[in-house]
Amino acid sequence: MIATTANANANGARRRAIDMIFAGKASHLGTSMSLIEMLTAVYESIDVERIKRQDNARDRVIVSKGHGAAATYAVLAQFGLLDEATAATYHTNGTKLAGHVSHAVEAVEHSTGALGHGLPVATGIAIGLRSKKYTGSRAFVLLGDGELQEGSNWEALMLASHLKLSNLVVMIDNNRISSITTTSDVINMLPLAERFAGFGFEVYDVDGHDVAAIKAAIASIAAGTRPGVIVCNTVKGHGVPFAENQPIWHYRSLNKELYETAIAALAERE
Amino acid sequence: MRGNIINAVFDRMARDERVFFLTADMGINLVERIAQAYPDRFLNVGIAEQNLIGVSAGLCNAGYKPVAYTISNFLTHRCFEQIRNDIALHEYPIVLLGTSAGFDNAPLGPTHHIVDDWGAIAGIPGIDIYCPSSVPFAEPLIDRLLNAGRPAYVRIPKGEPAEPASTADIVYLPGARAHTLIATYGSPAQNALAVAAARDDVSVLVFNRLRPIEWEQIAQPLRDHETVIVVEDHFPEHGLYGALCRLCMEAGVYPRIRSLAPQGYNLTVGTSAAYYEAIYGIDVAGIEEGLRALEAAQLVRS
Repeated sequence: MIATTANANANGARRRAIDMIFAGKASHLGTSMSLIEMLTAVYESIDVERIKRQDNARDRVIVSKGHGAAATYAVLAQFGLLDEATAATYHTNGTKLAGHVSHAVEAVEHSTGALGHGLPVATGIAIGLRSKKYTGSRAFVLLGDGELQEGSNWEALMLASHLKLSNLVVMIDNNRISSITTTSDVINMLPLAERFAGFGFEVYDVDGHDVAAIKAAIASIAAGTRPGVIVCNTVKGHGVPFAENQPIWHYRSLNKELYETAIAALAERE
Repeated sequence: MRGNIINAVFDRMARDERVFFLTADMGINLVERIAQAYPDRFLNVGIAEQNLIGVSAGLCNAGYKPVAYTISNFLTHRCFEQIRNDIALHEYPIVLLGTSAGFDNAPLGPTHHIVDDWGAIAGIPGIDIYCPSSVPFAEPLIDRLLNAGRPAYVRIPKGEPAEPASTADIVYLPGARAHTLIATYGSPAQNALAVAAARDDVSVLVFNRLRPIEWEQIAQPLRDHETVIVVEDHFPEHGLYGALCRLCMEAGVYPRIRSLAPQGYNLTVGTSAAYYEAIYGIDVAGIEEGLRALEAAQLVRS
């Protein structure tokens, strides 16, 4: 059982993401629900104004599990990085807000959707920020635990560790469900923390729905000398009772009845 | 020509702090001086081509102009999706430098034969494609590409040919009597030039740039010749042969177009490119034979 500390930004983003998924008849509800607190913790930890100015020394956030688009756009809207009217167009004709994260949206650093791309790009960003001597600037990348089955991630992890990229923060949405079943049924990689520790990373293992705990881990990594991994233990579909831990909610979209049930459940939690 | 090109990168890095050089553990006795002179803008990512491209994209995001270097076959095929999503989709001005072309790595076997690289890259929109056929074109190319600010793939053949002595993207060398045009690029261009030197009815069109090809650049030579032979060390369907057939069809210009090119992968060992060039008729003797065959066919038809 994961205990969740209430967070107004996360609650607002979760409600918005559900609205967007329902209005856009979109899928990937499960992953968006597991990502909300992770994204909230990141944007609460960084200087959002620098992103608005597109300052080259800004922190970068890459959502490698691009199917978490609704959560990404909802959190961007929550932090004033995407206007609300645009967010409401998610997954509809003519919008730039595709079902996978797109850099057509200004605050999005990198388009993703094919898994295993975000970590190499974030590694390159971290190298670039360090080479440009932007002390304190960081690259954040959010990956799914199922996504770790893509080999390209391990190429990047080896390099990041070798280069001691202390400005790289890797965050794993460890919701333990990939596409059609549980990740441990496909390729069991547990315990994840030990794998990353073996690669030379500073590893934190936290409740992925506890914004304060994730922020504390981000702050600790900033004070360290090695790249960091935060294994965020999450529930796929978190906050939507009928979708929690159900692989099918990678694919299904909400009908009106289920949408109302989801919203009622959120209201009860809050 | 890789030495000429890497030297040009080195010179540019002295003048341009935005240029960042990456290698996937290739370039012995060549790239070391970049590492020594510019350690903050040099990176060996190891034997990890997917990471080579992803890291390059990240460097672009941070404001650099990356130049990514390794053997052409690994550079294009292993990381095709990274090139599509992380470079082309983002229009990142990354220069991909691929060493070796065609059968440059002859005895190393078909995994190292580079006969399907640029055609694959040409399937992705927005990436300019070059195959320098001579040193005079290759040497200033890096500056051009880094100034252009567009994604580019450069397929670098072995050798340092001095001809054609031109910096033009497409070089037209007309014969005295216009009859047959040889369209070619890279290493086989030297064979085509040798054939043309011995005849007065053969013209040569050397392509240093393979994409984009503008019709206006080639319209006159293609209109002026009854027959075109496309000589290349790459599969023809998605190579220059395919490109010229499409352009001619669109323009309503209908020369006879024939292809001399590799057909499929070859498991037989040859100790040099010449071995394979002979098999596929893209060496001097093969091109001459191709010309004779065309002439005979035309006599029959007429």
